[in-house]
Amino acid sequence: MVVKKNKGANPGKYFDTMGTVGTIGLHMVSHPAVGAVAGYFLDDWLGTKPWMFITFLILGVIAGFRAVYADTKKVMRNQEKEDNERFQRKD
Amino acid sequence: MASGLPHPLLLAPLAGMDSITINGEVVNFSHVFYTWIAMAILFSLAFLVRGQIKLVPGKLQNVFEVIIGGLEDFVVSNIGEDGRKIFHVLIALFLFIITMNLLGLVPGFDAPTANVNTNAAMALFTFAYYNWVGLKRWGVGYIKHFCGPFWWLTPLMLPLELISHCARPLSLTLRLFGNIRGEEIVLILFFLLAPIVGTIPIYFLFGLAKCLQAFIWFMLSMIYLKGSLEHAH
Repeated sequence: MVVKKNKGANPGKYFDTMGTVGTIGLHMVSHPAVGAVAGYFLDDWLGTKPWMFITFLILGVIAGFRAVYADTKKVMRNQEKEDNERFQRKD
Repeated sequence: MASGLPHPLLLAPLAGMDSITINGEVVNFSHVFYTWIAMAILFSLAFLVRGQIKLVPGKLQNVFEVIIGGLEDFVVSNIGEDGRKIFHVLIALFLFIITMNLLGLVPGFDAPTANVNTNAAMALFTFAYYNWVGLKRWGVGYIKHFCGPFWWLTPLMLPLELISHCARPLSLTLRLFGNIRGEEIVLILFFLLAPIVGTIPIYFLFGLAKCLQAFIWFMLSMIYLKGSLEHAH
């Protein structure tokens, strides 16, 4: 690109963080939901009434927390990068 | 628009495209009709820009160069040079979604993304695409992406990874659907409260939110593609 953007005023960075933060809430819900649905249909298929449902629901909850942890790590990494940039520019 | 809520003016019923009959069943067709309109807008813009491409860009070419060039820089800085090979899919999705989202703000039109079917189709495409890219890149070794960092963790990690991969299209679909549908409903309610005057201030907020939702889709599919392109743990 011909036009060089000023790094401090880059709106893409805020969009990036806003996007990541906006995904956290739904990740918390969608993973357990997928786990529960998978467990329900596995129960139907294998005839092990409550067990697969419970197992996969718990797995879904664990997967959900893992996704939230990954998102949080990403936000914190962005923050650290920004802090470093700001610190270096002040020197 | 928003189920059951009265809409002052819509193009689809006027064009006779509100619903069609397939095998004797009446099927809601308006979102497909508006998707066609979004496609027509994008195609005509693309032909317009292609017809007059210059070294020194004109107004329209400049707009597209800023959007596409900026996002390409963003993808390359995140994925690396591999990002250029898959960028065409990401930018196509982004432009398509942003056009469909913003179509909801135009009087007489409705956002096709306010219907869950449009989003589900795009989410399933994204899901299939990043898995296909991973399979093409790693072959059978793509299974390692699902197995976690150590071999003895595989029995625990495999179901976890499968669940989180299956949750991706679900959360993509529901996020876009919920946001856009909610905005459409709020717009209609504001319009009912105070026609025209009530809707204008909220247009700025929703314009931003709709761009943000398109960008979120773009960014998430980029992250998924990054995951399938890079080496497993």
